[in-house]
Amino acid sequence: MHEPRDFLFWPARVLPHLALLVALLGLWEWAVASGSVDTIMVPRPSAIMAAIFELYVTKGSIYQHFFITLAEAVFGFLIGAGVAIALAVSSSLSENFERYVSPYAVVLNVTPGIALTPIIIAWFGYGMGSKIALAAVICFFPIFVNTLTGLRQTDPDREELFRSFGASRRQVFTQLRVPAALPLMFAGLKIGLTTALIGAVVAEFAQATAGVGVLMSRFSFALDMASSLATLLSMTLIGLLLFYTMEFLDDRVVFWRRDARMSAVSRARARAWASGAEK
Amino acid sequence: MNTMQSSAQAATAARRGIVIEGRDVGKSFGGGSVIALEGASFSVKAGSFVSLVGPSGCGKSTLLRLIAGLIDRTSGQLTVHGRDVKGPHSDVGMMFQRATLLEWRTAIENVLLPVELQRTVTAADRARATELLAMVGLKDFAFSFPSQLSGGMQQRVALARLLQTGADILLLDEPFGALDEFTRERLNIELMRIVGEVGATTLFVTHNILEAIFLADEVMVMTPRPGRLARMVHVPFARPRTPELTLTPEFNALVAEVRDILGTH
Ligand SMILES: Nc1ncnc2c1ncn2[C@@H]1O[C@H](COP(=O)(O)OP(=O)(O)OP(=O)(O)O)[C@@H](O)[C@H]1O
Ligand SMILES: [Mg+2]
Repeated sequence: MHEPRDFLFWPARVLPHLALLVALLGLWEWAVASGSVDTIMVPRPSAIMAAIFELYVTKGSIYQHFFITLAEAVFGFLIGAGVAIALAVSSSLSENFERYVSPYAVVLNVTPGIALTPIIIAWFGYGMGSKIALAAVICFFPIFVNTLTGLRQTDPDREELFRSFGASRRQVFTQLRVPAALPLMFAGLKIGLTTALIGAVVAEFAQATAGVGVLMSRFSFALDMASSLATLLSMTLIGLLLFYTMEFLDDRVVFWRRDARMSAVSRARARAWASGAEK
Repeated sequence: MNTMQSSAQAATAARRGIVIEGRDVGKSFGGGSVIALEGASFSVKAGSFVSLVGPSGCGKSTLLRLIAGLIDRTSGQLTVHGRDVKGPHSDVGMMFQRATLLEWRTAIENVLLPVELQRTVTAADRARATELLAMVGLKDFAFSFPSQLSGGMQQRVALARLLQTGADILLLDEPFGALDEFTRERLNIELMRIVGEVGATTLFVTHNILEAIFLADEVMVMTPRPGRLARMVHVPFARPRTPELTLTPEFNALVAEVRDILGTH
């Protein structure tokens, strides 16, 4: 945690980074202007800025594509994660179930998920369906494996303790195994969400009518590299948005792994206890 | 065993004030290939503090788990409160070397866990949990999470949790074994006080002979594999006891006696 007064010194921390960035862009601009780099293939930073301004401000034509890709990644992720968690929970509860499921999971993992793109497009068409499907398929494995590994961790002492308290099998699962699995499960969900975005974009590159992926390939085919790079920025933004959403959820759910959050939760529980005692 | 016989047994045991009784108790694992405990016959009086000492692997933990009903014996008879032990039961509470707290629960929520697993928590349960945390000296840490507490404090929470079960038999398996010597000594003395206050019967496993004698009314000395009960050594010293006791010749004579039985001179 930062001390409150650190706030006053933030320019001192940020300025060197800004200076480096400006220097790099300046070097790039100069290299292109001096003719040592091909202007068509590598546009100048100023040209990219202009393209960004046009796409995001004056025309605003990027947003429709932005939200389509975002929706594809998110829905694909929700489906993939739902199936992965359901299968992981079932596998952790039944060894037989796991014996039948795990070979398929392994095959799915060693097959490059991206290679399924043509098949999935043939099955689900050019629209959002195929993008969602590919996102779901390729985010499945990391979530499945992490959740299952988390649920399989057993602590004999704690399980014995629960049994000595007369806990049912169901209570051992919900009160001990599931909470203990949450940190690993969330690690899997974080990887999965990033993977889902890759799935959606790759499917768009292959065949699509809308989305930032198809927009980017159109610009590249037209050799409008500045606009293409400006579109890439929107993927970065989607990636950041998804990443920080997941970080936020992780912080809330797995609070006991974060010192700062733990103190806040501790205070909240103390208040809740006090108001419960008044009743 | 028919009910008439067992209730008669229960009555006799109660009259003699005996809460745990074992006759030729044995346990083997792997279809008899590993004998963990053999021919253990013993009885534990209500409200007494019994220490278990013996070399590693002699079956101390196995004996506690048998008494708790967490594992089934392979031979002999074992009764708690005169009733045959089959499966986990609510007469005993256990505590391990590791605090085994749930790190997503605050100290007081951990203390309430045994109640929560049985029924809805009442205002009385909450009051009791608060009282128990005060008793183990953690009044101000009720809402701390385990990772915010030191190892010794975590064991105190585990002790409060054990007492919250309301069990009158406490099975402690090297509860302070992972702590430094200073903390362990302090906790031992507090444990004696608390157990005395609650009036519970206590079985306490330790590797430390001095500790075993200092705390106990009886020391159960066990021999190496296959685990057997060598002897029960009676500890006559009055309570409350202070650490100075360990410096007296009488105390050291008992230490020598236990060492003799264990053959660790
Ligand atoms: N679940 C099990 N399966 C197989 N063997 C076991 C099992 N539990 C215990 N044993 C064996 O039984 C013997 C007694 O074990 P136990 O844990 O009771 O010893 P202990 O006296 O508690 O030892 P320590 O002082 O090291 O804790 C050991 O040889 C151990 O390997
Ligand atoms: Mg042991």
